[in-house]
Amino acid sequence: MSSKGQTILICDDSLLVRKKMKDYLNELGDFNVIEASNGESSIDMFRQNNPDLVFLDIVMPDKNGIDALNEMRKINSEAKIVMLSSSGTRKHLKESMDAGASDFIQKPWEESQIEHIVKNVFK
Amino acid sequence: MYSQYFGQYLLNKKLIKPEQLTDALEYQRSVRLKLGVIAINEGYMTPAQVEHVHNMQKRVDKRFGEIAIEQGYIDEGQLDSMLNTQKQGHLMLGQALIERNYFTMEQLQSALDNYKSETGISGRQFNVIGNNDTQVIMDIFQNYGETMMNQVYSDYVTLLIKNIIRFIDDSPTVEINQLKSGLNTEWFVRQDILGKIAMSTGIAADTDAFVKVAGRFAQEEITEPDEMAQASVGEFLNLHNGIFLVNMSNNGVELDMNPQRVLKDYTIENSEKAYIITCHMIWGKFDVILM
Repeated sequence: MSSKGQTILICDDSLLVRKKMKDYLNELGDFNVIEASNGESSIDMFRQNNPDLVFLDIVMPDKNGIDALNEMRKINSEAKIVMLSSSGTRKHLKESMDAGASDFIQKPWEESQIEHIVKNVFK
Repeated sequence: MYSQYFGQYLLNKKLIKPEQLTDALEYQRSVRLKLGVIAINEGYMTPAQVEHVHNMQKRVDKRFGEIAIEQGYIDEGQLDSMLNTQKQGHLMLGQALIERNYFTMEQLQSALDNYKSETGISGRQFNVIGNNDTQVIMDIFQNYGETMMNQVYSDYVTLLIKNIIRFIDDSPTVEINQLKSGLNTEWFVRQDILGKIAMSTGIAADTDAFVKVAGRFAQEEITEPDEMAQASVGEFLNLHNGIFLVNMSNNGVELDMNPQRVLKDYTIENSEKAYIITCHMIWGKFDVILM
């Protein structure tokens, strides 16, 4: 897997989730990992950095992840955006898929799930 | 589940020495994983299959038996037989104390009676703690005159106990009481659930317990109620509420929730129908508020 220079954006309001994800992504490869802690800043970071992969929480302040996903899709319809949320209700699953999410991971996440996605995107 | 709390009581009363309690708890722990062990002993499952089910349990909110059946490892008859074996062999702390020759049956009986009367835990509540039985939890809410939200609160508390065991501590004691007056708390993490069933949830704790819950959930060394500690307790509540929303969604009720908020030195106002679920662990306690 070639990871050098690839950018991964983690959007989650929890500092703990961001730290755990970042630590694990750093184990997987030499990625440029960037973070956002609410919906609005997620969209800004997405627009500015054009990341190769996004992990996007749903329940976040300012703007929720579904709305952020819709905005991101307008900016780049091809981007790999994976929802990562504790709230995998039928409504949220449907809304995510309708808005073009690449995948959906229900928290608590397993390392193997993240590894699988990262390997698929950067194979 | 009440074993560690009961153990603390025995220590306070000097009925048992700390090393005896540690030994009995260890002994009890060694027989806890029995369903998997029974399955192996009975030749129903291979160790690898048991391991696979344990791994899946970390991801899905299901019991060992349910997953084992879904995976086609065992059938329902085999599960029944395993559960019967487990019940017979299940040793609570008291039984462990007897088996390790620290207590006679009579001494245990007397210690348990005193414990129940001194802690004010009624027979029914005591039972919940042993069995984590949704029906018993429903009866408690029923006794408080709760009608509208009985099923919802009972499901919420049953899942809460599971998630505390899964993420925080394997032997909590849980008490359910009505919140009769305002509650001052050093830390309050609040998250509101919205939709057809609107409710407010929160975790209240003093700084010491707050930091401990944070460290246990994060599986990191956390010593101060700093931003990471707040994120950790917040994420525990968010995760629990998220799983609750998924369960409700699977039952056809779609709910939403707001982001959690952390409040310092907060007073929870008394409200007509508020409940306080106190979770006692050997290292401290915290409250979950439902209103």
